[in-house]
Amino acid sequence: MAPIGVDEWVARSGDRRDQHSGLRGQLARANERVGWWPRLLLVGLVALLYGKVIVGGNVNYAQTGFNVVLYAILALGLNIVVGWAGLLDLGYIAFFGAGAYIYALFSSHAFGNLPLDTGGVLLPAVASIPIAVVGVGLLGLLIGLVALRLSGDYLAIVTLFVGQAFAEAVNNVAPGTLGGANGLFGLKGFHIGSAIIGSTLGYYWFAVIVLLVLMALLHLLDTSRTGRAWRALRDDPLAAEVMTIPVNKVKVMAFTFGAIVAALAGTIFAAQQSSVFSTNFSAQTLILIYACLVLGGAGSIAGAVLGGVVVTVAQQLLSSPIDSAYLFYGILVIVLIARVRPWQYLAAVVAAIVAFGFAAHAIVGAISHRAIAGSPGSSGWFAGALRHFVIVPAGSPLTYGNVLYVAMICMVIGVVQLHGIRRLVAVVPTVYVAICCWEARLTLDPGITAQIMIGAILIVTMAARPEGLLGTRRVEVV
Amino acid sequence: MQIFISTLVSGIVVGCLYALIALGYSMVYGVLKLLNFAHGDLYMVGAFVGYFAIQWFGGATALIIPVPLLIIFMMLIAGFGVGALGVAIERFAYRPLRNAPRIAPLITALGVSFILEDSVLLLFGGFTRNYNTPAFLPFRQSIHIDGVNIWSVQIIVVVVSVAMMFGLRELVNRTLFGKSMRAVASDREAAEMLGVNVDRTIAITFFVGSAMAGVAGVMSGLAFGQISNIIGFLAGLKAFTAAVVGGIGSIPGAMIGGLAIGLCESFSSSYISSQYSDLIVFALLIAVMLVRPQGVFGQPPLQKV
Amino acid sequence: MHLRRIFAGALGVMALASITVLGASSSAHVAKVAKASCSTSIAIEAPFATGPATQLGLEQLHFAQLAVAMANKANGTSITLGKDDTGLNPSLATTRTNSIIASKAVAAVGPAGSQEVEAVGPLYAKAGMAFVSGSATLPALATSGANTTFFRVVPDDDIQGPNDANYIIKHKLAPAGSTILIIDDQEAYSEGLVAVMTPILTAAGFTVNHQSYNGTDTGATLQSDFSSLATSQVTSATHLVIVPWQSAGNAQQFGQTLQQQGKTVTLFGTDGTDSPGQFIIPGTYVSNFGPDISTSKSAVDKAIVKGIKKYGAYGAFGVPTWEATTVVMNAISSVCKAGKTPSRSNVLAAVRKTNISATASAMGVPIQFKADGDLVAKAGYLFHINSKGTYVEIADK
Repeated sequence: MAPIGVDEWVARSGDRRDQHSGLRGQLARANERVGWWPRLLLVGLVALLYGKVIVGGNVNYAQTGFNVVLYAILALGLNIVVGWAGLLDLGYIAFFGAGAYIYALFSSHAFGNLPLDTGGVLLPAVASIPIAVVGVGLLGLLIGLVALRLSGDYLAIVTLFVGQAFAEAVNNVAPGTLGGANGLFGLKGFHIGSAIIGSTLGYYWFAVIVLLVLMALLHLLDTSRTGRAWRALRDDPLAAEVMTIPVNKVKVMAFTFGAIVAALAGTIFAAQQSSVFSTNFSAQTLILIYACLVLGGAGSIAGAVLGGVVVTVAQQLLSSPIDSAYLFYGILVIVLIARVRPWQYLAAVVAAIVAFGFAAHAIVGAISHRAIAGSPGSSGWFAGALRHFVIVPAGSPLTYGNVLYVAMICMVIGVVQLHGIRRLVAVVPTVYVAICCWEARLTLDPGITAQIMIGAILIVTMAARPEGLLGTRRVEVV
Repeated sequence: MQIFISTLVSGIVVGCLYALIALGYSMVYGVLKLLNFAHGDLYMVGAFVGYFAIQWFGGATALIIPVPLLIIFMMLIAGFGVGALGVAIERFAYRPLRNAPRIAPLITALGVSFILEDSVLLLFGGFTRNYNTPAFLPFRQSIHIDGVNIWSVQIIVVVVSVAMMFGLRELVNRTLFGKSMRAVASDREAAEMLGVNVDRTIAITFFVGSAMAGVAGVMSGLAFGQISNIIGFLAGLKAFTAAVVGGIGSIPGAMIGGLAIGLCESFSSSYISSQYSDLIVFALLIAVMLVRPQGVFGQPPLQKV
Repeated sequence: MHLRRIFAGALGVMALASITVLGASSSAHVAKVAKASCSTSIAIEAPFATGPATQLGLEQLHFAQLAVAMANKANGTSITLGKDDTGLNPSLATTRTNSIIASKAVAAVGPAGSQEVEAVGPLYAKAGMAFVSGSATLPALATSGANTTFFRVVPDDDIQGPNDANYIIKHKLAPAGSTILIIDDQEAYSEGLVAVMTPILTAAGFTVNHQSYNGTDTGATLQSDFSSLATSQVTSATHLVIVPWQSAGNAQQFGQTLQQQGKTVTLFGTDGTDSPGQFIIPGTYVSNFGPDISTSKSAVDKAIVKGIKKYGAYGAFGVPTWEATTVVMNAISSVCKAGKTPSRSNVLAAVRKTNISATASAMGVPIQFKADGDLVAKAGYLFHINSKGTYVEIADK
């Protein structure tokens, strides 16, 4: 039950009381003592390490690194509007798209003759990036002015419209200039004179520099009067106004700054992809950016960046069947470790699962040999052990897998309703059915499985830690 | 004139369905202050439940039970099934987040939406299904007005929707549950202190809202024919818009909002352009929001000092 | 408590160790497989998990899987198929293509959409890797010169569009001087066909009414679009409506809306709407670049129809992907038979030399490529839907 009338200070002091002693507490206290700037240096070192050592010529890794940094920048921008100022902006993707499209217009033959690839206004990146940023900043200003009349969910709806309207407009309006459904491609990349950024790795370094500079600037903003004004606005707009904070100006500033960051990210994105399409700026992308921000912790710079890393890496892992198997089993193990306490119970549950599995397999095998003749979907060293553990009929029939899937969902929902010893007992068959379902059905359609797992990750992480990984617990006075 | 009547009919049918989904949105928002973005996907699940009900009873061309009975069964099964699913989702995904900052349940709702859409894709494949309604409710069963055919299915949709809306109004205004719902929506802690079982009230609210979405799904399958696993997203978006324009948290607002959006879509498509119909609807709605920021029937947000 | 921490720490170390070992051993596992006969890997890019065309993507994926299995059995190779979902989204396709190029795959099948090919063509060209598409029909893809390693086993829109328009004119599907309504779904495929067909029809004396709706709409919004199009655009002077869409389900919904409003017009669909299970409005004409092989007597076709059941449902849209995959598989096998290890460059050269006769190809058309990647033979097929809803093949001249 919610404590009535509790505010942030009280919620925080509860946090402090819960702080762990021992190694974790020591790390936390050391973290606070070190200060912000050395931590920024640490982020830079990690990025440097990744780019120099881990990438090693693999284009795939370079692209992942670039995506991580891009989403981190986007999450930082969204953090200004949603995390600091508390304005629910569901049209953020329009700023991202506008920045990308403006850069594209000035880096292709859009203003000339698109089909024949001639003419147009071609500006070097040094000129087109500021134009994009300023243009989208003005757009942010405009939306901010509109936002003054609206609050809360009404603002959400109007910004959602703007986001949808942007994608539609860019797809249908002026196809001769904006490219229509085909988009604009063959864009000239970033260059100064004749020095051009040609590879993904090059864009990765550029984005890392932008990220570090942005983090520094935003930290300065956060600790300044403007940052405090935003936090006051988020917590209680009326009180903020009474304390002489110019609420309207501050709101508009939040939108404008968020738009500027998004536009910058947009230009980098367009240059790296060397093309822009209206489908790049769909609701799916917006959901991902929100997931980055909220999972990492809305309201914290480090949280936004961490969220960007976690979500993008998870997406990348999920797109490869071998890695998504690691993720699935890894999450299973982590959830068991985190929720089954104390460790004696955990050991008992794991042992019970293993025993249950082998027993079930043996019993079903004794009844019908065909029922266990199939092979599990995963490959790797544990596939051999799994073959004697899971029940997969010959030929991996879809119906069996579908039934298992529905059973798994029902059992998971059921387990959450039980408590105490009943829950521990129920966990055993649930985990076994989940593993069987994964091996028999979910590995057959890796693309769909990846989406389901993203959804499951979102639900589980929010239930476990609603404030995000690095966020602070807040109680909203409603 | 013919175009006007035809456009009006189509707008009312679509509007009724948006209104049913918007009602679910509004009810859930009222008690939990939660924007349940997965609500549109419940509508989609209802459509699939109805489709499989038809197949279970023999398929569109070879039904084994009379048509009125089929329609009643479909709606009951979809209503109860999707209602139960809604309650399960609430207990599993939203209950842990009752006291969390409002942006966290938003992400959870998106997660639930992913799971619903992709589970249907996994279980039933990506092919769009078609109810093939003309096979058991032929087009010739229509009323003819001034050269326009009003199909029996369209009449059924409107009648059932209006009946459900009236039923909901009675439920909210006359019954004890309705009173508890209004109390929880107004002030959850106070309601709890006065002896209202908040958990149960919220669960029943979810049940009713989801059941209405489920029935809306069945009716959309009957009226439009084609269903797929992605119909929930756009329908949810439009219904959310309707709920907000009508004033979120307000039940008559959701009904008016849904009808308004349906008619707006229909008339702008017919008379202005089908290419830009979405943009026009957006522009009109932004204009409404600017003139009356709290929605048509909404109350201006109270500022607690 | 101390014990608990040790235990937790041990679990964590074990987990880390096992993941590292897993990673090492799975790559060792792959290396072991590679020593077997002519074994390498290819990849398929299709929209089978996300995006607006999952049903088409799943069809393509399943047919590709069937082709790999059939070719492995026939040629004695052991080539694996990597699956990459692109969601019909050029940005996602770019990411997937980069990961395919970074992997050990020697050739690729797909992507499905013309806008995706535009995005990834230069990437494949730079990597010197062949990619064969079974459904990207934008003419500029081959002629622009940016996609030097692009091949397709289907004729481009410059064939289908004029073929259909000329058929309409010649066989008088609409009375002379009447209005023809042509609707696009705001996607590149549709808009391309409209742009090609409109001038031909206008020159023949018809009034062309060009309308458009948002092809990504679903459910009630889609019905609003269709109702209003049927109400306000299908006038008494309109006798023919052309629907060059990529969704048979949408075409069926539109057709039913027309029937419900009592409008009697003839519908004309293109290959994207060809689906005997879904688009069955009697009296409709549907054009395609391949025949419906489910009624064909050829040995190859019968094997395909029988074999696809193991992977998924049959659909005409998947057949060209089967063809494209077989082209790649045969190219690799020919490289192995010549005693060389398959690499991107020699597989590319082998694909260029592809020569499959009409009897051995699923679509009954010989497969040979021109220098720019287009098919040499050009074919078109036309179907007419009879009163029972069955597709009947008719001559398309």
